[in-house]
Amino acid sequence: MSAPEMIDAQRVLTSRQMAIYRFTRNPAALVGAVIVVSVVIAAIFAPLLAPSPESAGSFVDFRNRHAAPSWEHWMGTDNVGRDVFSRVLYGFRVSLGLVVGVLGVAVPFGVILGLVAGYFGGWTETIIMRFTDIMLALPPLAMALAITAVLSPNLVNAMIAITLLWWTWHTRLIYRIVKAQMNEDYVEAAQVAGASHFHILFRELLPNCISAIAVKISLDAGFVILFGASLSFLGLGIQPPTPDLGTMVATGAEYMPEMWWQAVMPGLAILYAILGFNLLGDGLRDMLDVEL
Amino acid sequence: MTNRPILEIENLSIGFRAYGQYRRVLRDVSITVGEGERVSLIGQSGSGKTVTMRTIIGTLPMPPGVVETGSIRYDGRSLLELSKIERNKLKGTGISIVLQDPMLSFNPVLTIGRQMDDIVRYADSRLGQNRSAAQRRDHIVQTLAKVQLSEGARILDSYPIMLSGGMRQRVLIGMALLNRPRLLIADEPGTALDVTTQDEILALLNTLVAEEGLSLLLITHNLGVVREMADRVYVMDKGRIVEEGTRDAIFTAPQNAYTKRLMAAVPPLYGPDVVTIENHHTDPNPAISIDSVSKDFVGRSGLFHQHRTLHRAVDKVSIDVMPGDIFGLAGESGSGKTTLAKMTLGLIDPTEGTIRVEGQDISQIAGTADFRKMIQIVYQNPGSSLNPRRTITDQIAVPLKFTGHETSRIKTRVGELLEMVDLPADMANMYPHELSGGQKQRVAIARALSVNPRILVLDEPTSALDVLVQSTVIDLLHRLREEFDLTYLFISHDLSLMRNFCNRVGVMLRGQIVEEGPVAEVFGKPSHAYTRALLSAIPVTTDEADAMKPIVTKEERAAVLNPSTAIGG
Amino acid sequence: MLLYLIRRGASLFIVLFGLAILIFVIARIVPGDPARIALGPLATAEQVTDLRAEMGLDEPFFIQLGTYLSGLAQGDLGKSLLTSRPVMDDILGALPATFELVVFTLVIQIVISIPLGILAAVYRNTWVDNVIRVVSLVGIVTPGFVLAILLQLSAAMYFGFFPITGRIDPSIMFDADITGLLLVDGLIKGRPDVVGDALRHLFLPAIALAAGGIGQVVRITRSAMIEVASRDFIEASRAYGIPERVVRFRYMLRVAAVAPLTILGLEFASLIGNAFIVEFVFSWPGIASYGVRTILQKDLNAVIGVVLVSGVFFVVANLTIDIILGLLDPRHRLREGKSK
Repeated sequence: MSAPEMIDAQRVLTSRQMAIYRFTRNPAALVGAVIVVSVVIAAIFAPLLAPSPESAGSFVDFRNRHAAPSWEHWMGTDNVGRDVFSRVLYGFRVSLGLVVGVLGVAVPFGVILGLVAGYFGGWTETIIMRFTDIMLALPPLAMALAITAVLSPNLVNAMIAITLLWWTWHTRLIYRIVKAQMNEDYVEAAQVAGASHFHILFRELLPNCISAIAVKISLDAGFVILFGASLSFLGLGIQPPTPDLGTMVATGAEYMPEMWWQAVMPGLAILYAILGFNLLGDGLRDMLDVEL
Repeated sequence: MTNRPILEIENLSIGFRAYGQYRRVLRDVSITVGEGERVSLIGQSGSGKTVTMRTIIGTLPMPPGVVETGSIRYDGRSLLELSKIERNKLKGTGISIVLQDPMLSFNPVLTIGRQMDDIVRYADSRLGQNRSAAQRRDHIVQTLAKVQLSEGARILDSYPIMLSGGMRQRVLIGMALLNRPRLLIADEPGTALDVTTQDEILALLNTLVAEEGLSLLLITHNLGVVREMADRVYVMDKGRIVEEGTRDAIFTAPQNAYTKRLMAAVPPLYGPDVVTIENHHTDPNPAISIDSVSKDFVGRSGLFHQHRTLHRAVDKVSIDVMPGDIFGLAGESGSGKTTLAKMTLGLIDPTEGTIRVEGQDISQIAGTADFRKMIQIVYQNPGSSLNPRRTITDQIAVPLKFTGHETSRIKTRVGELLEMVDLPADMANMYPHELSGGQKQRVAIARALSVNPRILVLDEPTSALDVLVQSTVIDLLHRLREEFDLTYLFISHDLSLMRNFCNRVGVMLRGQIVEEGPVAEVFGKPSHAYTRALLSAIPVTTDEADAMKPIVTKEERAAVLNPSTAIGG
Repeated sequence: MLLYLIRRGASLFIVLFGLAILIFVIARIVPGDPARIALGPLATAEQVTDLRAEMGLDEPFFIQLGTYLSGLAQGDLGKSLLTSRPVMDDILGALPATFELVVFTLVIQIVISIPLGILAAVYRNTWVDNVIRVVSLVGIVTPGFVLAILLQLSAAMYFGFFPITGRIDPSIMFDADITGLLLVDGLIKGRPDVVGDALRHLFLPAIALAAGGIGQVVRITRSAMIEVASRDFIEASRAYGIPERVVRFRYMLRVAAVAPLTILGLEFASLIGNAFIVEFVFSWPGIASYGVRTILQKDLNAVIGVVLVSGVFFVVANLTIDIILGLLDPRHRLREGKSK
């Protein structure tokens, strides 16, 4: 009743064609894709693209400190004369590294737990989901702060702390999808056909979760960047001289408002990356027609 | 037609704009409903009948819908040209509707009383009437009495989920009648319910039309329903009216080719066209032997789940299915037929009793490859039993892979199987959504047959399909049975189909087999009151068949059925 | 309904118990000696041993857990190394400030985002929808600390009406000794000046904290409204002549409200998390500020206490939302009341 009855079509669109149609008619999604690609390129080729690669480290050029944005320094220079634009490019590198590190571990782990809890049910489900519920009750930022503080703050420990907290969201998402899929007959059909648990989990159920995972990863990438930057902003994430966007905002904030670019430019860079991943994720969500 | 028309649709054409494409879904549709007349609009899914209904009541979203040409007149006034205010005045008071699914038609978070009172109150305010809350409540209770619901007060305080399906349908009809409309549009009334309940609902609608002087436009795909409910009939196919006429004219002498095909595809319950299937096997050892099998499900309630309640889904059932049989297991929802089938497949364990397949106790062999080569299943809805994210080949290959077939052989075997179920080989790499419902069900059959089982459990294999498609799938199943010497355990609520498809049937009621035997006997001389009640409730397409239906007395009916007028159930 | 409440209450208790154990276990399995970490690298071995004994770290793990849990049951979270006071007292002292900020933020989020979501759904695919979409996107993608700094900066430069640090002007003499909440105590004691000044102080931090959640809730509300609009019962209500405004605001909203409320509950954890940033930037004297200070000092007892209290906050907020959902939707109540 909800979908209009479509008949008399010259050509019935396949769902893939409809998905592509939706994506290309969605300028926001295209903008998102372009932003994400630009961030990835910036991160990979930072050493080639940066006008002053040495600014990434503990380089000092006091003659040039606090220089306002100009042709030479697009985003100005910081309190020790390093080129902010170069540092932002390297900052993307650190941020994306964090994203890959966190999601590379948290997503597979969370997805597998969600699949297992939803498929096996019973005690397995109760234990996994109760544990997930409890983990979700921990305020993530506070927890990550505490962990990095105790472990000593640096990139790897920030990664560990965020990963420890991040998998729960994927477990919940996949669990919900699998529970809904368990009402479909194809799972039982596979059981009747003699399929192994492994086959059902990874060949039957997982393909039905892929769209949701893709959208979630895209949206997550932005939030991991934000999360990492928030940690560094409080001084408990990545430590100088590693060029991290959050640290740059925190240091730059001391010179506000006169030398605004030192905090605002890295701030905008974070915003730019998060915006890209968000627009892309939303576009994918519309295109793949999934609900998170 | 002698009466003054209350609804006149003339040359209505409607299109949709979606995904950059424009499709026309209605072409030159003209329908007239006279005052006090019962008109049926019959069509299969996708024929455009729902679009027609939504255009009449004014809920078709525009855009994307576009009215190209045509007019709709209600009582002489052109609906498509009326101002919004004038048109809204007619809603519920002039034209009212009963939607298909009684559960989805209620607001789940408001009580029935609240929803009904709102309908009366806002109609009052539009029409400048003024009734007190008590007066409105009286009116609502009276309306519920019209739909034969006597416990009005209790119903009003209930939420929709607390009522049974049949009651919801009755309340829904009551809701539609609250403001005394002159034209009632009913979309597949009772289709979502069991056949005995559907029968009650249809009888109720007929009574209401006669007593309240209503005009009825009934939208349905079921020819049997049409015969019981219509004075005149319109047949719709692909957005066009292909035939119209009085009920008798359409049923006795259809003119249009599509109408004829439709008529021919409906399996007859009684009469000369009935096909009786026979089993020529002489093997005395049963293929499936079910020996006093019971199944209890445990429910828990109370604060700490401390109260255990046992619900007996299957109660001491004994059946022997002989090799070559098509054994039909008939029953309404909740009768335990699906639970019995799942136990036969070894998916759930019986609480008591034993099941033997080809002489072997399945509690010993369930889960082995040998067992899977004996018995397989085809599900009701291929949209659900096929994985939407895997190709046809991948899905057919699953049973092969797990019964030790070599990977190299699998591809050729899939080709063979597709040919066997009359599907083109190039479908092998498609995904289920690229196939039609009938094609998907063929894939499901191919998958079940891939490991050469000797027994198939068919769980309502055609109930999700249109009647024209159903007949082709049934033909295929007959052919495969001959060709591969198969035994079927066929589960269904559709007794007309069962009469023509099976050679033996068992009728289930609340977990028990109440009657069992060869089809001709069970249908010809039903001994149990429930069987008679079931058979007499089925809408049939000829007067002849109607006359041959068994007689069931009111007392008998009341003894075996839960009437839909009582709370609970 | 009563059964439902009891059942929810029981599950709350289980989650809290699990939470307490989990936090303790994490605190103990993290590598490194808490006493050594607390004292820093310059402390002598003897000092470390003394502190270990004082903190009970030389006991077996399960004894430690038992001591910790029984202390917890009596409201004892141990002593803070930073302030040398019982952690519980520190937290209770800081809690009202955070509570006031978070609740005020929630109110702002609900008041702004649900109407915006409805507007966006009603005027779907028009300029109204697009403007709302951009606004909520900006809210979502702007990092909390960037927004906080920008707000602080622009307040300092352009509109001095809003103070940029603290909860209340130090020149106002006021003792919030009833509930600890300035707004509530100010009202009770009839001090409009206190209420006004507290509101001025609350405004900027609350906006900085609310922005992200607003964007999420607007989106969820919009899509829930659109989804509900396509249901059969909405079509039926229209066909029975229920006026459009009633259909939209009473019928649809009540069904659609479930999704945004659930999200608000889940987002609550990140709200508390973000409070760490916002309190830090605006020098807000709440538990998050206390948390950051103790974390920087590696004051383990205090950190455990802060995280635990934040978790309790989250769980209680979700229980509240669950109860509201139960009131809104009879299905929610019945489903929870029945077992599988």
